[in-house]
Amino acid sequence: MKALSLALAAVFTLSASASAATVGAPAPDFSLPDSNGKVHSLAQYKGRIVVLEWNNPECPFVKKHYSSGNIPRQQAEAMSAGVVWLTINSGADGKQGHVDGPRAKAFLAQYDAKPTAYLLDPDGKVGHLYGAKTTPHMYVIDATGVLRYMGGIDSIASTDKEDIAKATQYVPQALAELKAGKAISVTTSQPYGCGVKYGS
Amino acid sequence: MRVVPAIALAALSGATAAQGQSTAHARGDHIEVSLLSEQTALVPGRPAQFGIHLLHEPHWHTYWINPGDSGLPTRLAWALPPGYRARDVTWPVPQRFKLGDIANFGYSGDVLLPVTIDVPADAATEGGVRIAVEAKWLVCQEECIPGKASLALEMPVRAEAKVDPANAAAFATARAALPLAGPTASARVLGDTVEIVVPGDREGVDAFAENKQVVANTPPRFARRDGDTVLTFARSDYFASAPTALDLLIIRPGTSALRTHAIFQTR
Repeated sequence: MKALSLALAAVFTLSASASAATVGAPAPDFSLPDSNGKVHSLAQYKGRIVVLEWNNPECPFVKKHYSSGNIPRQQAEAMSAGVVWLTINSGADGKQGHVDGPRAKAFLAQYDAKPTAYLLDPDGKVGHLYGAKTTPHMYVIDATGVLRYMGGIDSIASTDKEDIAKATQYVPQALAELKAGKAISVTTSQPYGCGVKYGS
Repeated sequence: MRVVPAIALAALSGATAAQGQSTAHARGDHIEVSLLSEQTALVPGRPAQFGIHLLHEPHWHTYWINPGDSGLPTRLAWALPPGYRARDVTWPVPQRFKLGDIANFGYSGDVLLPVTIDVPADAATEGGVRIAVEAKWLVCQEECIPGKASLALEMPVRAEAKVDPANAAAFATARAALPLAGPTASARVLGDTVEIVVPGDREGVDAFAENKQVVANTPPRFARRDGDTVLTFARSDYFASAPTALDLLIIRPGTSALRTHAIFQTR
């Protein structure tokens, strides 16, 4: 009995992160300005599927998935199916990969990437809220606001573009399964990439 | 994999021609990488000890088999003559790195990743063979830079071999940095935690899991129960289902570690 209560106490003190993001539970709401200064909230997209993508333009893992066209292609395909795609940068001012609005837009233009919005989170509040650890780090939220996938962009942790074709791309897979009304086969995976460059 | 001629290698990666030497060398951004042989020759039927030596610039690091919350382990792709086989890296005990919320496991300074290569019993004892490897790594301070190098050694095959005095110290240091074999443990998932019970009273200050997606990369809590040592980890945020077993290093006071194989109890 004593061991059990100790174990329960440990649940609170040892939690992996302060993140409120749990697959199967409502995704925490937030609002952030985009690269044009327009504010987007998660709540405003209720009724639509939302993808969150953590980004750092200087990170080699992000470059792998942009210069290969993998993420821009996933964005375009998802958005043509009515999905909202929010790219988020939680890099703090002065850290590698931190961007302001013009630099965010230049980054997207460089790769012909057209997500719904590129959101700026320099104080890391939304990154910490979701427990975003890496760039990229992906989340899929269904039309009712429930988190349905969190984790890596794909199944092969590397910086090599050649691995993309061999890897399972988890976000398109989850989106296709959601659309077909099927159970999502991979609901969580180990994210891989650069650490998010939080200021604190 | 493609075998690149030694001349092209030098141009690509700065690798030295390694004819008649037991070290091949390359320089990457913030790191120097070498392929070392412990012995001056290969002996038919006798496992041979090689190693990838990583010399990091101060404040830069590379990663363990489980890199932690971010990063990538160093990977080796060997190109060996027929009948030769490279075993997996015998990973030395890594350090914990912490940057805000992000926890990583890896190496700074000077480290050797030892690899045993099995030499076929029917290898001819005249001439030599080429032992080649492509090493890929991610070297990080706060920013990360991927790197790779192709390294090769031309190794004679002889009936007898000696330790190469030039590399003896590096291999001796590497052996001292390996985890010690520990007892088999049991593991179970308890809500949002994973509990590992290691038989006996084990001193530990930290523990690192080799497997990903099981436990969080934060240090566990240590406790004693009925003469055993109980490690309670937070469950990984990316936990999907319990594996058959978890391999982990219990870091002891100082820098030594005990490697234990924890078998999950089926409920």
